[in-house]
Amino acid sequence: MAWRWLQSHTGKVRHIGDSGTPDWYARRALLRAAVFGQDHEVWTRQPAFASSVTIGVLSAVREDSIVLDTDRGTEFFALSPTTETWLGARTSPSALRPGDPAIIRHRTPYTDLPERRLAERIWARIGRVAGTIVEAYGSEFLVDAHGRERQYVVVPPAASRQIQVRFPRLAPGYLIDVIGTRQRDHLLAVTPATAQPPYHAGHLPAPPMVNGHVAMPVSGSAVWHEPDAEPPGLLGLGYPAIDPEESGTQPVSGTGCVRLPYLSLGTAVRIRNECSGRAAMLPVTSEGVTARQFCDRCVKCGTSPKGRVADLTIAAFVELGGSLEDGCFNATLTTRTG
Amino acid sequence: MLAAARDVQVPLLAAVLITGCAAKTSYLIGARTAGARTGPTASFPLGSRRPAAAALCAIEFALGAGLLVTATYAWASPAALVVRVAVMLLFGTGAAALWVLRARRPDAGCGCFGEFSSTPVGWRVILRAVLLSVAALPLIDAPQLHMPASTAQAWLTLGVIVGEIAVIMALSPEITQLMLRLSHADPCEVREVPIARTQSALYASATWRRYRRFLVTTDAADIWREGCWRFLVYPGVLSSRSVQVVFAVHLTGRGAPVRVGVLDSGISLARGPATAL
Repeated sequence: MAWRWLQSHTGKVRHIGDSGTPDWYARRALLRAAVFGQDHEVWTRQPAFASSVTIGVLSAVREDSIVLDTDRGTEFFALSPTTETWLGARTSPSALRPGDPAIIRHRTPYTDLPERRLAERIWARIGRVAGTIVEAYGSEFLVDAHGRERQYVVVPPAASRQIQVRFPRLAPGYLIDVIGTRQRDHLLAVTPATAQPPYHAGHLPAPPMVNGHVAMPVSGSAVWHEPDAEPPGLLGLGYPAIDPEESGTQPVSGTGCVRLPYLSLGTAVRIRNECSGRAAMLPVTSEGVTARQFCDRCVKCGTSPKGRVADLTIAAFVELGGSLEDGCFNATLTTRTG
Repeated sequence: MLAAARDVQVPLLAAVLITGCAAKTSYLIGARTAGARTGPTASFPLGSRRPAAAALCAIEFALGAGLLVTATYAWASPAALVVRVAVMLLFGTGAAALWVLRARRPDAGCGCFGEFSSTPVGWRVILRAVLLSVAALPLIDAPQLHMPASTAQAWLTLGVIVGEIAVIMALSPEITQLMLRLSHADPCEVREVPIARTQSALYASATWRRYRRFLVTTDAADIWREGCWRFLVYPGVLSSRSVQVVFAVHLTGRGAPVRVGVLDSGISLARGPATAL
């Protein structure tokens, strides 16, 4: 998997051929250890893979199994009565159709048959759009996702009431964050992912002042984003506080409502899902521009502090035990800084 | 003494009104929020908060300017009386509104001075509004604005002004917010530091002078940041081996610690088995 977010520096930097790759970022851990003499536990091995998440396209749907075409080839997953399927809403696996993009969380119930995997959760054609409304035409909206391609969102009549309760101002300049089903050229919104912030996009509330050092871990909300140009199975996160010297996007006013230490792409951080108890070291693979615009809380298990600390890739979000239709989980993030 | 206190109320109260309007305007323009937290307007419906806040600001400015103008040019006119009564009513109504706001929205600030008034309304703010409305009472028969007649009167007037300002400041949580903002310095991990400044600190360090001779070039091969440290990597040669020299510069300015490490270019990653997340 190739990570294409090269850094841009105002200083004099020569880029070596493999810069911006996992090996490149892993070597930074070695270099850091050469200075500080610490154990470079992470990212000196091959990047971790998601052991319980598979992303691909459905090629066959049977009564007791489904077949997925992935970048590793064709993969089979057994179904059971406990398999939960989402296609716009909770539904049965019989609603799935070949050709549907799907994300599967699976487990291996038989240790002596590791190749036999059971699908626990299936999300088909799930999508999400978060960003600033640029244009509004009745129930259709063009959204700028900041750093990603602009997306069209359509709010159907069946979902309009639910969405407008949480997003009362669906007008240009205001933020939106909805989850829905992917159509050919737009997202059909099904549910709001959060409540609309009262402030205009780009005019964020003043961040809290920090005295002393940033206390670790930092608590907040962890959300997810669609792959867009990223490899589908990428494990990583969008970090809301990329060093401004290497930020590749237009600066969004404010630093977000969570004060996080500035890091560079490729830095490893520890993220823990407080709802499931699962934790992992993940690399920063993108700049979480959209994440720092929202000062919302996640209420999946208790109420998190305000602010989004991580914008995870789909694979990472599901691997850490999150449910995509929920949109978030309460999270704590720890960086190795200071 | 009382005469001196009466004489200074016009400029003092006008300054409070105009300053309040200016601070609110600055906050409203900067925030551009649909739900700007502007004191008593926080109790208004979302859509009417900004118009209400703008109207309040306009009233404050008009009354503050009106006080100064009528006290200078038309101090005995009906217009002057109207302005002064309006000021009294404004401060009295404000005190009552703050009392209600404290009960309905205990988390809301008074918004009296824009973003500095974000502290929840407490007894100090309400007492301040009450004292301002009491201070407005002598306005009714205040004379035309004039310079002090003697040096002694000038000192007395100055003393009254300083004393009244001190009381207002003592009852103003905004002062604490302002002092916090002026004295606060972000910790290094959240501070924006240009790369050029880091390089300048590096080149001025003894560590750079010691290792410079091993470097092949002064063009950094890689630069990245982790909180308070910025790392700069340069290719080098040491004992005929190709190496990478990495400098870690602490981002607290010139004289900050600079640490160094050397790694053979040939050392590759430990290729262990792939690990599950």
